[in-house]
Amino acid sequence: MAEDPTHDGKRVDPMEPWRGMRDIYMAAWGKTMVDMVNSEAYAQATGAMLDTYMTVSAPFREAVEKAMLKTLEQLAMPSKADVVSIAERMTNIEMRLDDLDAKLDNIQRLIVHAGAAPRPQAGNAPQPSKEKTTKAKQAKKGKR
Amino acid sequence: MAEDTVITDPVTAAEDRLKTLTKVMTTKAPIAQTPKELVWTLNKSKLYRYIPVLPKEKRHPIPVLLVFALMNRPYILDLRRGHSFVEYMLNKGYDLYLLDWGAPGPEDKNLRFDDYTLDYMPRAIRKLKAISGVEEFSLLGWCIGAILTTIYAALRGDEGLRNLILLTAPLDFSNKQDLTFARWTDERYFDVDKVLATFGNMPGEMIDYGAKALKPVENYIGNYVKLWDNIDDPRMVEAWHAMNTWVTDNVPLAGGVFRQLIVDLYRDDKLMRGELVIRGERVEISRIHANLLTVIAEGDHITPSCQSEPIMSKVSSADKELFRVKGGHIGIMAGSGASKYTWPHIDGWLASRSR
Repeated sequence: MAEDPTHDGKRVDPMEPWRGMRDIYMAAWGKTMVDMVNSEAYAQATGAMLDTYMTVSAPFREAVEKAMLKTLEQLAMPSKADVVSIAERMTNIEMRLDDLDAKLDNIQRLIVHAGAAPRPQAGNAPQPSKEKTTKAKQAKKGKR
Repeated sequence: MAEDTVITDPVTAAEDRLKTLTKVMTTKAPIAQTPKELVWTLNKSKLYRYIPVLPKEKRHPIPVLLVFALMNRPYILDLRRGHSFVEYMLNKGYDLYLLDWGAPGPEDKNLRFDDYTLDYMPRAIRKLKAISGVEEFSLLGWCIGAILTTIYAALRGDEGLRNLILLTAPLDFSNKQDLTFARWTDERYFDVDKVLATFGNMPGEMIDYGAKALKPVENYIGNYVKLWDNIDDPRMVEAWHAMNTWVTDNVPLAGGVFRQLIVDLYRDDKLMRGELVIRGERVEISRIHANLLTVIAEGDHITPSCQSEPIMSKVSSADKELFRVKGGHIGIMAGSGASKYTWPHIDGWLASRSR
């Protein structure tokens, strides 16, 4: 851009006054537009436009949907309604899986708590004999 | 600076600016870069856990769940490296989870607040508890996410919710005069049933138009003028690019929720009047006992302060605070001042309540 250094080292931007004017103009314009979109007239106009669009497009949309449905039937392909139905069932299955996941998490938590609980005293509970433990270890080794 | 010694050819400079402009207008910025793992899914919803950056002994024991709006992508909370709320909170030692609602498809057109608050949220929170091993948690809801967290807190708040943070929460709809959306969706002008019969879900583009049309000159012209004015500043361009990536990434709103939002909230103000019924349960704000921080953006044109303030007098929380911060609806969390004002305040408030 056409920028020339001045004596104090700063550059003069000849576009700066124009930018200032532009910003003032945009601020004023912006405020006017905010007031306009806040009016009842704007709400009424946009509502009417949307309503007209939906009313006018409805017959075309329905015709396209019917034609598409027939085409998909002819091609033995699933329609949008079929896919939606499958998706809904999938979500239902996911919820059941999530229920199972919750139960598993709960079981895991109980096991961890049980493991962390103080062990019964030697005199109060039967302990596996050393011989049995050794045999079990040997059996495991044999398997490997 | 370099421009004092390097003389740039005006044609080359103009070419460079045009290249930068084309790049930011036609590409997506690298967003949501903070490492995270997917820990739970249901339908389109996903629960992510951000990988902690501090060792366990230095972290706060109470996990935090971030719940953003349904019709925008939640990565606004993790916009870009060096300017991310998620990154900031991880560095402060929080165990952070993000509930991403995803984009509803035609099969989700009947989803309502009921489903999100009593199916999706409790299930995600159960998973969060199972992973963190802690029964208590904090919830941070932003915009429509704040409506969801408020409803959850009122209905299921006794299931371990310790801290509730509401950002720019549209909860009170009684002041119709200050709510442009209320005027636009007035039943005299806006036929919500016809809209949903036509579209199924409320299209993201229409929601985007609604948000931008509140300040048309600023959003449709001023935003690009600002980019052009700062096109030679790489940091500004990077920030603009990331924000533009987020703004243009719209998500539809499930038809059932949209209907409740317009009819039950914008028109009938049922939440604040205690008349909102979710799966047969009346939502009573007075049943909220969690510690509450409400953050209000002073320049918010989407959720004016009159929508967020009244909850303070309705909750039963003994510990509650209203924090006002300069900025707009999104700017308070993603703008340049967020890391100086909003984030430190949230951290300060939450840290002392997460022990």
